[in-house]
Amino acid sequence: MSGTDRAGAATAPAAASDLGERERAAVRDLILILADSKRMLGMRYADWTLGAPELEAGIACASMAQDEWGHARQLYALLREFGDDTERLEHGREAAAYRSMALLDIAPDTWPELVVLNALADTALTVQFEALTDSSYAPLRQRCEKLLEEERFHLAHGSAWFRRLAGAGDRARAAVADAAQRVLPGIMQWFGPDSERARFLLEAGVVSESADALRARYLVRVEPLLALIGVTVGGEPDFADFVEESRRPRAGAPDDDVIARLRGDRNRVFLMD
Amino acid sequence: MRIYEVFARKGRGEPLRHIGSVNAPDAALARVYAFSTYDEERWFDMWVAPRDELTEVFNVDRPAQEAL
Repeated sequence: MSGTDRAGAATAPAAASDLGERERAAVRDLILILADSKRMLGMRYADWTLGAPELEAGIACASMAQDEWGHARQLYALLREFGDDTERLEHGREAAAYRSMALLDIAPDTWPELVVLNALADTALTVQFEALTDSSYAPLRQRCEKLLEEERFHLAHGSAWFRRLAGAGDRARAAVADAAQRVLPGIMQWFGPDSERARFLLEAGVVSESADALRARYLVRVEPLLALIGVTVGGEPDFADFVEESRRPRAGAPDDDVIARLRGDRNRVFLMD
Repeated sequence: MRIYEVFARKGRGEPLRHIGSVNAPDAALARVYAFSTYDEERWFDMWVAPRDELTEVFNVDRPAQEAL
């Protein structure tokens, strides 16, 4: 990796203060994007603890929600090193400040929609984390192994359900295909452009793959599932209105009431300390 | 939909014991459900088997003529 040859980069950055200024800002953005996405995805899973078509599926959603929130909590904690106040990150931000994947703004209304988030959106996050397992930024690297170990279960659940619904008749297959077609363009865009900013992270060895490489590897991963529903992903993602710092389109934000639930606003009034 | 019995072992070399069951349409989901439903302990390994594929050898409550 070219990053390790550069003067001053011989030792991997063990702390945020070891990162260059450009890399530091980009790493903070990346961690916040991943943390907010996991927080929001955890909420989507948690909402399906009730209403899943089988008791066991509800238990699986509770378990995945717990994992996602655990991951989010760990990632927010990393941002202390960047001068952030984790209490503020978790409870003090407006909806417009969230950097969660835009496709998580919409609550899955049906079980096929939740299964599509599980199989396709959660997997996109996993593919991104796989590019951090050798990260030169040690605090991030050190959290990857356990996180990815837990994510193996999420993919197993998502793909088992995806296969089951795809084989459960025309109505179920169409519901999965519709949901997949709605989220896939957003997922492809989410990996971001191979911009100069993205190149800083690659050259510093913070991430091991370019956005295009991540997209390609993601498609290899989900291709067997997409084949079952006859969905293909074509064309280059459009980055015209894409904001790299948040990996979101310029317009839109999660709903205020969703974020109020996430923050626990209504019940934090009881905390007098 | 089938009932899958779930078996697990606490440590290497220990006997496999029955810890519960899950309802699932196939082995892929049975594995996933067993994992999330019975993950409260740090198991060494875990197995699922469809209940209807387990064959009874004997049961003391059954009439003697059905025993081996």
